[in-house]
Amino acid sequence: MNQTTAEETVDVFGPNSMLRRLANEARWGLAVTRATVLEAAHPQIGAALIGNSTFVTHPWRRLRNTVVSTQRMLDPDRHVRSREAARLNRMHARISGTDPQGRRYDAMDAEARAWVVATLFESAVAMYRLGGESLDGPTMEQLYTEFRTLLALLEGNSDQIPATLQEFWPYYDDMIDHRLESTEAVRVILYRLFANVPAPPLLRSHPAVWAAGRAVAGPVAAAVTIASLPESFCRRVALPDLPGARALMHGAYLTTGFATRLLPNSWMHIGSFMSLLDSDHAGGPGPWEDVRRKAGQAAAMLRLLTPAPDEVNQATRSADQFFAEVLDQTGDGYLAWPDLAAMAREIATRLDLDEQAEERLYNAYAAWWRELQTNLDADGDGRVTRQEYAASAASLPSFGLVKVADVLFDVTDVDEDQTIDAQEYQMLFRTAFHRDLLTGRGDGYSRSAFVRQFLSFMSGQQHSVAYNSLLS
Amino acid sequence: MEIISGLPRHVACVMDGNGRWAAQRSLSRTAGHEAAEAAVIDVIEAARSAGITWLSLYAFSTENWRRPAGEVDILMRLVRRTIRKHAPALHARGVRCRFLGMADPRIPPSLAQDITDLMTLTSDNRQMTLTIAFDHGGRRDIVEAARSLIRAAVPAEQVTEATFARHLPYSDTPDVDLVIRTSGEQRISNFMLWQVAYAEWVFPQVLWPDFRATHLWECLDAYRRRQRRFGDVRQPTATTGEGLR
Repeated sequence: MNQTTAEETVDVFGPNSMLRRLANEARWGLAVTRATVLEAAHPQIGAALIGNSTFVTHPWRRLRNTVVSTQRMLDPDRHVRSREAARLNRMHARISGTDPQGRRYDAMDAEARAWVVATLFESAVAMYRLGGESLDGPTMEQLYTEFRTLLALLEGNSDQIPATLQEFWPYYDDMIDHRLESTEAVRVILYRLFANVPAPPLLRSHPAVWAAGRAVAGPVAAAVTIASLPESFCRRVALPDLPGARALMHGAYLTTGFATRLLPNSWMHIGSFMSLLDSDHAGGPGPWEDVRRKAGQAAAMLRLLTPAPDEVNQATRSADQFFAEVLDQTGDGYLAWPDLAAMAREIATRLDLDEQAEERLYNAYAAWWRELQTNLDADGDGRVTRQEYAASAASLPSFGLVKVADVLFDVTDVDEDQTIDAQEYQMLFRTAFHRDLLTGRGDGYSRSAFVRQFLSFMSGQQHSVAYNSLLS
Repeated sequence: MEIISGLPRHVACVMDGNGRWAAQRSLSRTAGHEAAEAAVIDVIEAARSAGITWLSLYAFSTENWRRPAGEVDILMRLVRRTIRKHAPALHARGVRCRFLGMADPRIPPSLAQDITDLMTLTSDNRQMTLTIAFDHGGRRDIVEAARSLIRAAVPAEQVTEATFARHLPYSDTPDVDLVIRTSGEQRISNFMLWQVAYAEWVFPQVLWPDFRATHLWECLDAYRRRQRRFGDVRQPTATTGEGLR
């Protein structure tokens, strides 16, 4: 413990932080994807991902949250860092359960969390190595120290991963050889996520274009990721070794490596890519701004040239679609507590709530869930099917949902003037990767208007661009 | 066509007479709106080749929502079809398209999307700026500007005509020099009230669906022959009023 405190006092997240520089590079995405596969092979993490995570159904939203969270964890300001760590801990403390084999999992498990940091470190090292620049001894030591500090920031100590780099590699190899398993989560990431990634909102109006691109890019991304994984891991989890995949992988890492070194800094900055995907994210005109504008114009041209689809009334959407896009956050076809918890998590993250407000929000969602369970779960299996929801949702008094709306109003109304003004409205509905500009109401929302709008959206009666951007 | 001197910089058309045109032919009112499309395209092209850099068309006013629902519905569809049909040509000719108004939620989302797309597509063009007043009301724009001033907390003594104008929607739009209102009607009808302050008005008898390039030239000619003085008696000139702005 003493050693850890010492580490915290040395400001490893100062101006020369390697980790911060790394997390701001776009190619870090390759490494994070690789690390995610290694994490998913950990039985505890794999089970938690399958049971609770929304990354398959809402990968773009998840990606945005991860980027924002990482930036906060590496913020130069110590207070921002510890606040975010506390938030992440609260969030993870709510994720626990039992996997289909009856084994317990817990997102606060110290060994599992150490493994997350270990995979991120090793993937960073691999990223440099595969990108044609290997790290020298002292640099690698520094990076390792920074990762250990990151773990200490989350966990309170970093005792779960070896103290020195020399001890790290045997630990890492041992984990791969003896601890990891061929989990469902690994297969879901490699074969379902890559093949079925929903279109980012910029391309949501062109399902055909997206599907065509994805048909090629999905398998390529899977092949690149598999080829970059340690060989012993591939053997253990029985991943295919496709001809040419290694060359493709080397090509991908080399290209991004060169791009990072040769192109102007800001071009390969993660923020630039975020702004490319999400028109609202960019603060000012970035280097990709021109590209994005031209792409926007091309997309506009394409939309205008394609024959107009029949006038569909967007105000009504089918109950099925609403169930799949909004209610079933985890994408398993059922409505259960993890789905509602994911909604609460998303809102808490979006508004950056403090502990007390977060607790109220979760409690409101929990109360709603109990109500749904008592009223809708006809066969008593602990989850609500689409049919069960459709059969009785319309007739429900839904006191629980009113409570949720009420709490949502309170936590959104930061200045407590009983009105959601334009700024607060923006905070709640700040779009994630969504290209539509929100036209917030200038004069603000009263409590009753807000609750009414929320209820009509959540009962699937009214389409709302704003809520769609929040929850679907 | 060579560029003539003494041309108005900003021409606006109040497209009136579609209903009467249809009634004269015993057709439905909507047939009149459909016939208006040809006139719109003709005027845009004629104005552009004459060297006019700002053209505004009054397509739909905030008061027009009071028309029968069926007519409004068909109008919306017609606008959408016209946009989709002519977008590539407008873009190719370097016309920047903007829509003034567009605040009502009754505008169908599909049409709003197409309008946004057209504005995005043509946003970099500079040959001519075509402003389409759609769901527009001149008074509403002024109210909006006042709201914007108050929100920006501008002290009362700093509010001048120039600062006020900067808070109007599309504040880079110059004052209108010439307004053409077809079908002989002589009213303002809440059209760009702030911008038409010094405009010359012409009221040709022709109904809008029959309005063609030649009619536009006649109007431009009438404008050039008028002596624009902006209330000053000493300097009769035929300028565009730029000096005053």
